[in-house]
Amino acid sequence: MSICRPVRCLLTTPALPKPTSTPKRSFHASTPRAARRRRPHYPSIKASDLNLIDEAAAKNYPKYDTSEAALLSKKYTPSQIAAIQAAETAIDPRDLVTQAQHRSDPWLLPYEDDLAELDPITDHAEKLSAEDLPDRKGFREATNAEYQVAVTDLMNENIAKMYPNGVPDKNAAPEETRRLEESLQAAAMQASIDPRALYHSKTPELLNSLADPRHSVILPDLPRLDSRMAKQTQRIASDEVDDPRQKRLLQYLHWNKAALRNIKVKTLVTHGVTNQTRMGKIRSMYFLTIAGNQNGLLGVGEGKSVEPEEGRKQSVNAAIRNMRPIARYENRTTYGDLEKKVGATTVQLFSRPPGFGLRTQHLIFELARAAGLQDLAARTPRSRNKMNVVKAAWEALCNQKLPDEIARARGKKLVDVRKVYYGGPVH
Amino acid sequence: MSLVNLAHVCSHLQNASKARLGLTSIPVSKLHVNLSLGLQREGFISSVTLGGQAPPTPYSLQKTLSPEEHEKLAETLAHSPWDAYPPPSENESSPSPLGREELVHHVKVPRNPAARRLWLGLKYWNNEPVLKNMKLLSKPTRRIWLTGDDLAKITRTRHAGYVKGMTHPGECMFLTTDRGILEARECVERRIGGMVLCRVW
Repeated sequence: MSICRPVRCLLTTPALPKPTSTPKRSFHASTPRAARRRRPHYPSIKASDLNLIDEAAAKNYPKYDTSEAALLSKKYTPSQIAAIQAAETAIDPRDLVTQAQHRSDPWLLPYEDDLAELDPITDHAEKLSAEDLPDRKGFREATNAEYQVAVTDLMNENIAKMYPNGVPDKNAAPEETRRLEESLQAAAMQASIDPRALYHSKTPELLNSLADPRHSVILPDLPRLDSRMAKQTQRIASDEVDDPRQKRLLQYLHWNKAALRNIKVKTLVTHGVTNQTRMGKIRSMYFLTIAGNQNGLLGVGEGKSVEPEEGRKQSVNAAIRNMRPIARYENRTTYGDLEKKVGATTVQLFSRPPGFGLRTQHLIFELARAAGLQDLAARTPRSRNKMNVVKAAWEALCNQKLPDEIARARGKKLVDVRKVYYGGPVH
Repeated sequence: MSLVNLAHVCSHLQNASKARLGLTSIPVSKLHVNLSLGLQREGFISSVTLGGQAPPTPYSLQKTLSPEEHEKLAETLAHSPWDAYPPPSENESSPSPLGREELVHHVKVPRNPAARRLWLGLKYWNNEPVLKNMKLLSKPTRRIWLTGDDLAKITRTRHAGYVKGMTHPGECMFLTTDRGILEARECVERRIGGMVLCRVW
């Protein structure tokens, strides 16, 4: 501190200017945008407007007047009317005015309907099952005599339906008699296949319920879309092949696009590689992908390209093309212990009992999951180079020695004792 | 009972099957003969023949009967079946009652035991050797004896008495017991133990 400074300066409180909350100088050339006007989360309804809502509610949702109440009492019982009124008082008509609106969500029906009736075009036809019969064991197949009697009765019934005013006389017009013959034939045909004739029961209600058309297996279902224009314009996802490489793959495998959907694909190894030329380094990406259907098929594919996406696609297609069947004991584990060496990498796979799980390192876990193995242990005692681990595990799984083959090779009979013990099939 | 020689036999059989040999020879000893017979019983090798330094004549080069001769022989045997076993006679030059000099092919075995070899026929299936691995278990410096209970565990893929379980499909283990050289499963059946020799798969 300088001595020249007066004492007054020391004793008085410093009157330094307070920092302003907002910077005085704006750092932007343009004027700042005004803050968004804050809106409340709910519409603010003023007391004066409340009256309007009441009026609108009274106008749009009026209460039942006396004439309507009288009409309701004709249709409904007093208890039903009480229920209707209770339901209506539960909803405030002012809420209906303020909140009720027409639906605009994607699941709304494309037509106005209160869903009170079944529409034969848009709704599924109602069908009955054996549970809907009044007595499931109350009928049997009719004997010949019963069948004849029932057929004549039904035929008469059908004829009576066709000619409510009586059958034409013998001396009617020839066209009339021909039509009568045709209708007689139709009635006989209908009667002969009627379940009321084919089955016999002591209770007529049961027979009538059997004749219900809703029991029929040929009850027409939803109408098919049969327009030629619609057929020509519709596009099936399996027909679209955008990727020419994928198209070639599908041709090679004799598959369609739907089959590819069941294949699980995973890229396990990715790294950059460089090619040193006299022009300089050419960098590209390497991909190692596995593909499996989780049911005994497993493939490993490699791809390399300057474009990462291109290299990945190459590896995926190679993996799908290289898929080979994997022998699985009881569809869950390997046949015995396996060992395979690729480079300095040794992979040992051990079969394990049911419920053991996949207790392996991540690369072998992914392979086992894609192949559909469930119980497996593994060791990689030497080098753990990722590429070599995947290749060695895949080759070990592919080249398993099956007990059948061993039996044929040695000329001995080998039997799975586990299957014998549990009474399973033994070849 | 030299386990050193057995170790040589094990690795020799592995090497021979890797080289896709059809026939190979090992030194003769009682242990080797019995083990080879055990291997043949389990189907790992096709033939076990005692012979000299040169391999025995292969079966395909041995004299065989033509179909007509076969029919004639069958008729003769049906008429007089005892002719199949001619009475031993001192006179070697007398013709065989069946009309041929010899039916059974004789392998020349040297009189000197040091010159004898045991010839084993190796088997292959689907371009793969049937006997691919053969490992010595007891070592010359550490022999391993197992009880019947240990063997029961080992044949059920469990580890017992310094020996790992038989986890490879179709694996066999040979032991020398007081009833001869037996396979591990036979020992379990008879509830006897012994000294482990080798495992084969």
